[in-house]
Amino acid sequence: MRIAAIGLVPDLTLQLAKLAAMSAGGKVIASYSFSLTRSDIGYLENIQPDILLFSGGTDGGNSRYVLENARKLAASSLSCPVIYAGNRAAAEEVVDLMPAKEVIVTENLMPEVGQVNLEPAREKIRDLFLKRIVSGRGLSEIVDLFGTPPQPTPLAVFELISAIPQYQTDWSDLAAIDIGGANTDFYSNTESYLETDTVILKGIREPKVKRTVEGDLGLRVSAHSLADSGWAYLEERLKGLGLEVERLRKHLDKIALDLDYLPQSEEETLFDRLLAETCVYYAALRHSGGWRETYTPQGRVYVQTGKDLRRVKAIVGSGGFLAASGSAETMRRPLQKLRTYGQERKLLPEKPLFYADRQYLFSLLGNLVGKYPKEATALAVALLENLKDED
Amino acid sequence: MNQENRSNQKLEFRNMDQDTIILGVIGADCHSVGNKILELFFTAEGFKVLNLGVMVSQQEFINAAIETNAKAIFVSSLYGHGDIDCQGFRDLCLEKVLDRILLYVGGNLVVGKTPFEIVEEKFKKMGFDRVFPQTST
Repeated sequence: MRIAAIGLVPDLTLQLAKLAAMSAGGKVIASYSFSLTRSDIGYLENIQPDILLFSGGTDGGNSRYVLENARKLAASSLSCPVIYAGNRAAAEEVVDLMPAKEVIVTENLMPEVGQVNLEPAREKIRDLFLKRIVSGRGLSEIVDLFGTPPQPTPLAVFELISAIPQYQTDWSDLAAIDIGGANTDFYSNTESYLETDTVILKGIREPKVKRTVEGDLGLRVSAHSLADSGWAYLEERLKGLGLEVERLRKHLDKIALDLDYLPQSEEETLFDRLLAETCVYYAALRHSGGWRETYTPQGRVYVQTGKDLRRVKAIVGSGGFLAASGSAETMRRPLQKLRTYGQERKLLPEKPLFYADRQYLFSLLGNLVGKYPKEATALAVALLENLKDED
Repeated sequence: MNQENRSNQKLEFRNMDQDTIILGVIGADCHSVGNKILELFFTAEGFKVLNLGVMVSQQEFINAAIETNAKAIFVSSLYGHGDIDCQGFRDLCLEKVLDRILLYVGGNLVVGKTPFEIVEEKFKKMGFDRVFPQTST
């Protein structure tokens, strides 16, 4: 599901719009804050997203930008449905301004500054997916056959990750990573902020269940963009192992074109593993929050931004490379390396156990969570393979 | 905040029930008690108060003011570095098209025993509409 996200302030409503889109299983293909420009509109017309998630302003707060942007969107040739999840006080006017578009109004993503309300918008995105995309792409036969509509893989995994701690009490704090050919997905289910006197949270308090998806991190289609984004990590690893950069470049050229390519030599296997580590490193970097140490006249305090993953007890390699051939080390090493990033102490799982979803069942079981939550979650954790250290 | 200041404030806001005002302690300052008192006071006076708490950056004040369409930002500072923390605040507001927002600042704003008139002038030059000393009567 290709979603374009619009918010007002980048760190507030836009950030939430992106989180809502990703948590609903979508991929954010464009995102804008403040006023849309003519070229922004042109770009949107060109890419024609499946859904436009439109937010901005607290309830009763700013309406200037959403109204201005509604006018611009109304005059565009965008044909996708628009989910409006912005300032409630402006909702009716927004609908009136876009008579030719299908506008679905739902609750504000941020009714007050700092209050996060993603579920209603997420629900609407899900509904739209089922209505539009399922019937549009001939998936209705599946609905007839199984009695329930199919869910896109990331949404199904999200639902499963949400449900596991509810029904399997030993699995209270967990995360999952799915490295595919094009994207890397990172899911977490843990409290994002533990309030204490010495830790001050800045920015939004992120949701307990969160998914981020990185379109530039992947092992095949996105291999080149992965190397671009992740060069710092890759280079250091190559050096450490005494491998040649040129040979990795050749490998990248090969795999970016041949999506089903499987490593043929020991060296290629190692390259794939290094690339997977790089995906883990950068997906975790972007998903997790950090602490910055500051000294104040009252003593030392930590300023937290983003999500605290320290209490995560289990990390599951849930698809793609990690499910098939991942080892604990493929996840542990990059996470270990990431503990400090610049001046920040990253809030990563402190003593996680690593698991693999070897048979790649998470997304299938996620489809069953709605009807059989107990059974589906029990099966999901029972089928996980506990990854022992190899080194 | 003294009596005189309080009455002035009422005049300026008399007919703006439920306008949003943003409160916060700027910089690396962790003094939160005065700020909580201000929150209670302004809420009782009929404002919608958004208290950002301690260690608030200029950008955070401004982000919150944009999303809420706030009418005023009240900046507190107790630890003496207010003049450094507040530099460029008005410019950043203008940069972000918050061109009509009221900026108030109050507390123990500079290090040392500088006469209040000098402090006031300094902060007014920075673009603050009103400046309040650290008085509790």
